[in-house]
Amino acid sequence: MNQPILPPEPLTNEAIAERLTNTAIKQLDRGLIKKRNLVYLELNGCSGNIISLLNGENPDIEYALNSMVNLRYSNSLMAAEGENAIEKLMDTLDEDFILAVEGAVALKNNGLYNIIGSWKGKPLTGLEAAKMLGEKASSILAVGACATHGGVSAARPNPSESVGLQTVLPEKKMIKLPGCPVHPDWFLGTLAHLILYGEPETDNLGRPLMFYSTLIHDRCPRRPFFDRGIFAEKLGDKTCLFKLGCRGPVTRVDCPTRQWNGHVNWPIGDDTPCIGCAQFGFPDAMAPFISYDTTRVVKDE
Amino acid sequence: MNNTELIRLQLNHLVTQARQDLYTLSRSNDFYKNQQTLQRVWDSLSSIHFLSELLANQAAKHPAPVQNSLMQPPATNQSQIPPITPLPNQNTQSNNQRFFTLQELATFDGKNGRPAYGAVNGIVYDVTNNRAWAAATHFGLVSGKDYTQEFASCHAGQQSILAMLPVVGRLVQ
Repeated sequence: MNQPILPPEPLTNEAIAERLTNTAIKQLDRGLIKKRNLVYLELNGCSGNIISLLNGENPDIEYALNSMVNLRYSNSLMAAEGENAIEKLMDTLDEDFILAVEGAVALKNNGLYNIIGSWKGKPLTGLEAAKMLGEKASSILAVGACATHGGVSAARPNPSESVGLQTVLPEKKMIKLPGCPVHPDWFLGTLAHLILYGEPETDNLGRPLMFYSTLIHDRCPRRPFFDRGIFAEKLGDKTCLFKLGCRGPVTRVDCPTRQWNGHVNWPIGDDTPCIGCAQFGFPDAMAPFISYDTTRVVKDE
Repeated sequence: MNNTELIRLQLNHLVTQARQDLYTLSRSNDFYKNQQTLQRVWDSLSSIHFLSELLANQAAKHPAPVQNSLMQPPATNQSQIPPITPLPNQNTQSNNQRFFTLQELATFDGKNGRPAYGAVNGIVYDVTNNRAWAAATHFGLVSGKDYTQEFASCHAGQQSILAMLPVVGRLVQ
């Protein structure tokens, strides 16, 4: 940084993610770095993360994935189906690849609660696929709440006995990107960092610090209302949503500055409390998402 | 000096501060100093947002012409802006020797306007306005209970958390 940089644009979070992806693409074009293979595995979940990633822009997911990596397998995005698709998955096993996993791993009945395809006439369970690919992958990204810690799939009563990816791969180091769903920038930015500079700096829970370092509460535009004890009593109020159950004070991620749907808004900006979807333990530990029966003394109006 | 003028003064002060910070940021290459300055700009912006909302609310409530309001004494329903972030343990001196049984403690569950309390190692703390206890719950724990074991398993060695909480009394068997 030799030139003086005018705030705030070049230092914003979205600018960092965009800069990372653009630099990665540029370096690839110049032949300075090599494209790596990416396997995107969807296990026990709702496919919400891949849907969220499709909402990425500047660059969009297709451009980013095609320009930064060779997407070798993604059951939502690839043209092949059935055993042909699984064959492509098996082909990557002998090569170097980055593994991205969304969804939890279902353990019940030896993984039979989550079948992702069939291989040589036999059902291929998510559990088998996670172990087989996880052991060989050069880097692993756990994408979304379910993959990082079980998330919604592992919520009580957890009929499929779902667990996070780390539980079935206890020895492997993995980068964890919690969020329900993950923000496209969190995934694309981490992927680009991985390709350009190697593993990003993470906290002791494996989350990249460039996205997950700051409490929502500390960057919340409604923080002055909290500090002055002015609290919302219902959804739609423009003040601090703490009494209604806002989990911003326990959730570390950059939603207030990054924002969603093309960086236009986020839950608190739309007067609804943060439900802590990017915090470990979501959703059970973040309940209740909203409460009207609060500590606040109800005044006569 | 009436309240509107006070808010205007604060706004002007914050804008001046923000301008100065922006100038500093554009001139300095010191990464760590810039982070601090950026944080201050952010805080200033939040406060400006808050104060402008406050002004807008007042304007909506009191559409009276400015000349008239100057003649009248300051409106009584406009309270002073409370100070930012009340100090911890401010009001603990008055009534922190109360004794609670577990049954009594259970009534302080943060529902229906009641305060939210929790006990650790025999001491009862007030978590009503603690930021980690939104809706009187904390990572699945509801208030009004003894959480000695839970505190030990999640916050071992973090006595500073307890030191910052207002004490309301002691737990008796």
